[in-house]
Amino acid sequence: MSTFSRRGFLGLTSAAALGAGLSACTGGGTSTSSGGATGAASNDLRVFTYEGDETIGLFKAQLKKFDQQAGTTTTVESLPGSGAAVYPDKLRTQLLGGKGPDIWRIWGGQIGSPFAKAKQVLDLAPYYQKYGWDSSINKQAIEGMTFEGMKAGLPLLSLGLGAWYNKSLFAKAGVSAPPKSYAELEEVNDKLVAVGVTPCGLGGKYGWDIMRLFEYLLEHTAGPELHDKLLTGDESWDRPEVVEAFTLFKKWQDKKWLPQGALGLDPSDVEPWYVQGKTAYTIVGPWTEAAAILSAKKSPSGFGNFELPTDKTPARHSGFVEGYMINAKASNPDKAAELLDFLAKPETQKALQITASTVKGAEPDPKSLPLSAEWAQKYGSNPFYTIQDQAFPKKQADQYFSVQSDLLQGSVKPDAAAKKMQEIVSAWAKS
Amino acid sequence: MATTVALSKPKRGGRWSPWLFALPALIVYVGFLVYPAVSSLWFSLTNWDGLSATYKFVGLDNYFKLPSDPVVVTAVKNNLIWTVVTIAVPTVIGLLLAIALNGKVHGKPILRLIFYTPAVLPLVSIASIWGWLYNPQYGAINSFLRLLGLDGLAQPWLGQDSTALWAVMVPAIWLRTGFPMLLYLAALQGIPNELYEAATVDGATKWQQFWHVTMPSLRPAHYIVLALSLIDSFKVFDMIYAMTYGGPGTSTQVMGTWMYFNVFQYYQAGYGTAIAVVITLVAIAVGIPYVRSQTREAS
Repeated sequence: MSTFSRRGFLGLTSAAALGAGLSACTGGGTSTSSGGATGAASNDLRVFTYEGDETIGLFKAQLKKFDQQAGTTTTVESLPGSGAAVYPDKLRTQLLGGKGPDIWRIWGGQIGSPFAKAKQVLDLAPYYQKYGWDSSINKQAIEGMTFEGMKAGLPLLSLGLGAWYNKSLFAKAGVSAPPKSYAELEEVNDKLVAVGVTPCGLGGKYGWDIMRLFEYLLEHTAGPELHDKLLTGDESWDRPEVVEAFTLFKKWQDKKWLPQGALGLDPSDVEPWYVQGKTAYTIVGPWTEAAAILSAKKSPSGFGNFELPTDKTPARHSGFVEGYMINAKASNPDKAAELLDFLAKPETQKALQITASTVKGAEPDPKSLPLSAEWAQKYGSNPFYTIQDQAFPKKQADQYFSVQSDLLQGSVKPDAAAKKMQEIVSAWAKS
Repeated sequence: MATTVALSKPKRGGRWSPWLFALPALIVYVGFLVYPAVSSLWFSLTNWDGLSATYKFVGLDNYFKLPSDPVVVTAVKNNLIWTVVTIAVPTVIGLLLAIALNGKVHGKPILRLIFYTPAVLPLVSIASIWGWLYNPQYGAINSFLRLLGLDGLAQPWLGQDSTALWAVMVPAIWLRTGFPMLLYLAALQGIPNELYEAATVDGATKWQQFWHVTMPSLRPAHYIVLALSLIDSFKVFDMIYAMTYGGPGTSTQVMGTWMYFNVFQYYQAGYGTAIAVVITLVAIAVGIPYVRSQTREAS
């Protein structure tokens, strides 16, 4: 088979003017950067992100501060609330259009990985050295944005997922303290159902939200070592621990521990239900304090959080990283890296009210975000397993969701679901 | 004489004149339709991931893979169901509404507006509204059923394979009824009243008048409604994407959404583009009779 260049094809088939325009978009000139990227140096930077309405103002204010000290002009474009299902598509479209952003925010794992594999991303290794990020940023987080040995991104958020609950509904069910074991969690669920409260609010549209429950159950049944091996395809999914996890998953639905028709619910609708008193808790990260509790003008004192008990050692929770990448064709990679370093300063992280920073010395402020601070203090240093929509490529993750969907609808049994998962993961591992 | 002189006068621009007049439109047509279509055809013969700068030519491999992809099978089946239902139901309802509004009804303009309004609403808004209506616990539909004591009929409409596609078709029918209604209403108003008077004199009942006067007179309108609805139905994407995202699982995937998932989410742009080419070929095949009929009428 012959290898073709997309640009070559465009050049051959498009009109001369169009061709010239496109090649201009790819950049040219001599290298001006220590990162090795090409392009004429410019002090104009463009950032693409998905900051929500509640934080975009803070972000812009910090960019303005950076511009003043670095002599740059930084513009920001945000796509709030788009989530990992949509945002990467927009980014990809911008990059293909030849006018991609200089810097973009992205999730780690298999969501950020395709951009690195397609060589759209600058190798940040020289900047890690220059700015000492290896010592100032959490090492596990850096691994989440390192692909095939290339440091493709700078992770600034390391988000752990746990149960965030409504204290008054727990009290209504006679539950005085968060559960310490999986058996206790089931007891809590039963007590909540008995007083007419749906325990766990999760929505199955897009797959990733309800998956948070299954991955927790898998951690509970398989334990850390096996769980990690399952995710990399080093162990077969066709085994009792996985069957048990699928069995428990179905149990959660059958015992009405999940909302009725959870598979069809939109996570953005369901996530705040625990704040609204429609469910007792949800599985979510610390961003929920600002996004759901504070935005609803509720006092954080009415809510709490706990790490879902796995009964395993070490205790782990689901987690993922988010950070920034620099375009391989950025016109001024040095300035782009300078901006990342500015964002990685503890004072900038604090000003941005980051609830789960990877930067040492930027822990959340207990006064403004008491619950996030509490989570960071209690569980922030616990290891985490990779959230499974970042553990698998999107196609395999969707197939994974599809198996979970079939199981909850009763069209496959737990043992068949485990076998199906083995087929999916082994096909991926082979490819 | 004057006419003869005018005809023999040399034409400015000669035989190139028509092309010069057509050139601006041709440039747009070639640049924005022909060129992207040819590019897509080429990419469907490659293994391009949609992001990398390079790719390999794989011939017809992507097309050969289509029949063995279980989601393609589901998507084709869903497309067929969608096409039949979302053509037949809005067309029949639109015709009935048009007939009703063509009679002696009070508040015709208001009713026309009410029936046509869904057609101009943004699809994403419609998807959100119906998503809330379908909410299993708090949605208006299940609440209404429970109010009537029909708790057994309350369902997780969008959350189970057996009902999800049908549940999405309901708002599609709701928003697509206004278009045939307007076309039929215009056509009905063009039928000469004398035909009905003659039929009445001949002793035809209302039912006979409908089948032997109204329906034959509506034939051109039927043709436009069916052809446009057919093309529209096969291109379905937005309602499915916004309401179910192709789920639960892949149960509501249609060819349009499956193409999107492959091109934009799975980094399989070559394979996804092959799906797009197939959709286009089907739409063209369906559209040819309509275009030919329009050409015949114009000439």
